[in-house]
Amino acid sequence: MIEAILANIAKDFRIEFRRRFAVNVALSFAAITTLAVSLTAGGARLETRTHALLFWIIIFFSAMNGLSHVFTREEEEGTALFLRTTSPELAVFTAKLVFNMAVMAVIAAAVVPLYVFFLNVEIASPGRFALVACAGSAAIASSTTALGAIVARAGGRGSLFTIISFPVVLPPLWVSIKATQSSIAGGGAAQSIVFLLAFSGALVAVSYMLFGHIWIEE
Amino acid sequence: MAITRLVHVFMPAAIVMAFVYAPAAEVLGETSRLLYFHVPLAWVSVMAFAVSGIASVAFLAGSKGRFPAAETTFHNSATLGTFSALLATATGSVWAKLMWGSYWNWDPRETSIVILLLIYFAYFSLRSALAGKASRGRLSAAYLVIAMTVMPFFVFVIPRVFRSLHPDPVINPGMKILLEPEMKLALIVSAAAFSLLYFHLLRITNRVSKIQAAMEDLSDE
Repeated sequence: MIEAILANIAKDFRIEFRRRFAVNVALSFAAITTLAVSLTAGGARLETRTHALLFWIIIFFSAMNGLSHVFTREEEEGTALFLRTTSPELAVFTAKLVFNMAVMAVIAAAVVPLYVFFLNVEIASPGRFALVACAGSAAIASSTTALGAIVARAGGRGSLFTIISFPVVLPPLWVSIKATQSSIAGGGAAQSIVFLLAFSGALVAVSYMLFGHIWIEE
Repeated sequence: MAITRLVHVFMPAAIVMAFVYAPAAEVLGETSRLLYFHVPLAWVSVMAFAVSGIASVAFLAGSKGRFPAAETTFHNSATLGTFSALLATATGSVWAKLMWGSYWNWDPRETSIVILLLIYFAYFSLRSALAGKASRGRLSAAYLVIAMTVMPFFVFVIPRVFRSLHPDPVINPGMKILLEPEMKLALIVSAAAFSLLYFHLLRITNRVSKIQAAMEDLSDE
């Protein structure tokens, strides 16, 4: 099983490294939206709450542009059937989850400096801010990976991924916004980080249980 | 059949009790009669979501046809849940305008019903995107199970994000209905009537779905 997981992870990263589609689209979207916010704000000083809101809205929509790609690519290129017959479903899901976590890490790593630079944010607790960004991004990736598989089976149509992901991602999004606001102002965020990790764990566990039903053809 | 008869008894009783038997509340006045329709509708929308979730689990667990009615049950329950959530929102908004001065206030319970509606709308969008596919039942059931897993997290999050305007006498941490005895009885009868109506409609819609499936099979032959 571990060999199958590692082989799938290596395959997904190799394909992405060749084309860089998911990461390029997500990063371009993140850069455009951050610049758009900065340009339209026109140098105005925003409240910490507004900063937290805008930061997570940019992360959420950037993620929506990149996360479903790992499954839709398999369906579009006709490799899904091959993958179903050669790899155990748990290996496929684990690899896709690791890949999506990596995509989210790249998005967060790009959005944080861009946002801080262009919107002139002074963060009182940079360590806590970074931890919240990591935990929130992990929660988004772990809750939407199985949904990406569902959308890929539905033909990967337009904004369906965003529509079905939004109600599921709302709890970590709210908590991340609150914790980001608190970390910008210099407050604590430990309880929120625990919540985000618990949410990620619960959603990953349920996704593992459901993935067989989503992935396997009857 | 028993459910149908019970609906015929409980529904008129609930309407009569709401308008005649129960007294008007002291501060809220005659508008308090909305309570006997708004609260049961909100209750039914949550119950329909729970039934949808349980039927989805049953559908996925018994994939070899152990629960043949599970797919129609979770879909029809979601449809009925959407209607009751919309009606609960409408009655709640009217009451909010009268009591709090605006139709929408982002109170925790208003937020909860919006999230429930968002889940239902997302489910129907997914369902329509999967039209004609053999995997439609499995994929939509999987989505409902994921959505049901997320619901307990909202209980933790929403009260910390939004401040409540809803009155404590009806909804409070002690889980007790702190109303006058007549009002309490009218509310219980109304909740029972709406619950029975939900199960009655679910049974009818399940039968309609079964007939539609049989007709589709006949036309295919």
